[in-house]
Amino acid sequence: MVERTYYYIQQETEPFRNLALERYLLENVPKHSCILYLWQNQHTVVIGRNQNCWQECKLQQLEQDGGVMVRRLSGGGAVYHDLGNLNFTFLIGKKDYHVPRQLDVILHALRQLGIEAQKSGRNDLIADGRKFSGNAFYESGGRCYHHGTLMMDVDREMLGKYLRVSASKLASKGVTSVQSRVVNLKELNLELTKEKLEQALIDGMQAVYGHQVQPYSQVWLDEEIIAAYEREFRSDAWRFGQRIPFSWETEHRFSWGNFQLQCQANCGKIQQAVIYSDAMDANLIGEMAAQLAGCAFGSKAMAQRLSQLEPRQEIADVCQYLLEQDI
Amino acid sequence: MAILEGLKYTKSHEWVKENGDGTVTVGLTDYAQQELGDLVFVNLPMAGDAVTAGEAFGDVESVKAVSDVFSPVSGEVAEINEELLDAPQLINETPYDAWFIKVENVGDTEELLSAAEYETFLAQGE
Repeated sequence: MVERTYYYIQQETEPFRNLALERYLLENVPKHSCILYLWQNQHTVVIGRNQNCWQECKLQQLEQDGGVMVRRLSGGGAVYHDLGNLNFTFLIGKKDYHVPRQLDVILHALRQLGIEAQKSGRNDLIADGRKFSGNAFYESGGRCYHHGTLMMDVDREMLGKYLRVSASKLASKGVTSVQSRVVNLKELNLELTKEKLEQALIDGMQAVYGHQVQPYSQVWLDEEIIAAYEREFRSDAWRFGQRIPFSWETEHRFSWGNFQLQCQANCGKIQQAVIYSDAMDANLIGEMAAQLAGCAFGSKAMAQRLSQLEPRQEIADVCQYLLEQDI
Repeated sequence: MAILEGLKYTKSHEWVKENGDGTVTVGLTDYAQQELGDLVFVNLPMAGDAVTAGEAFGDVESVKAVSDVFSPVSGEVAEINEELLDAPQLINETPYDAWFIKVENVGDTEELLSAAEYETFLAQGE
């Protein structure tokens, strides 16, 4: 039985901090309680726990534009967040965890705002036949969270700009995303604001659980622990080092001849690189391939590694070509 | 739902097999796999990694959720079941054959339940 309900509205929009706070709230949700955590990420691609970030996200493009890629604890697919999106998280003990009930809070809130929404499949909410909310779930040590996006006024052009629909040159294990037709809730209620949606969600929580919803006090937060979680979410080991084997290949015709590169990678690092070329001598091919072994996967890191070799036109060309690749 | 005699169990639904040579083998119970639903991915540690009793050593992702998997013992990973990385559905199909890790140099151990105790624990709705 849920006996107490809380809400926490996060004002900061930094994704690593927000995910760290979410984890902290999960580990500290009191017995027989449910916390509703509301938060926003600025300019962020969030990928599922077991996804290949290069397969899901146009990382180079995102970082060039000042965005960040983060990996969450829950499963499922990749999503784009900006301040036109509001995230919700229900944090609750396993015995009280009930996805349909939690979704009722969302549906109740939207009804109050004049929007009729429905569940679709296991993980989505739709209105007007289109998706505005993707949901994902995480469980650890008898506690669970259920979180999701609420697209209010997301810049939809950014979805295509930063999320990769298919990566033909990349073959990977891991969980893949499903593309959906999406709708912004603001198209369905022109008066919608973040503040109105937050209030409606708190009201929905009260209606569904039947208790006065209390603010979760900042005094209960242990900043030292949250800072440690934040460092973990921010670390390369967490973001790129997941044990998901994949291969990537690319081919280009330079003025001096053909060049083909095949990489086998795991834990975010190239394990083996193989080069085929009709114009390079075997020594140079061998040197370049050996230089790439152990290198972090990614165009910048690879170009930097190769540029450490003795300068040659072929190497300079390949470096330039790698930097232009969208990985 | 199957509970095997001769194995020990945790309250977080791992099974533990004492191999008699000081090592233990750990997997997820039939109850756990049913609760999780169809598994699509499993994360395991590497051989040589340290595990700590009561702390997560890996996770499984099903169509419903990501769920942490806890180590019932402290020690060092001697071996992992590589087969699961390519075929996580084996955990759904044969949970007591689909072992996750073998642990050596076993130190601290969580409170473990016998098959009968685990059955009672499940019957009480955890």
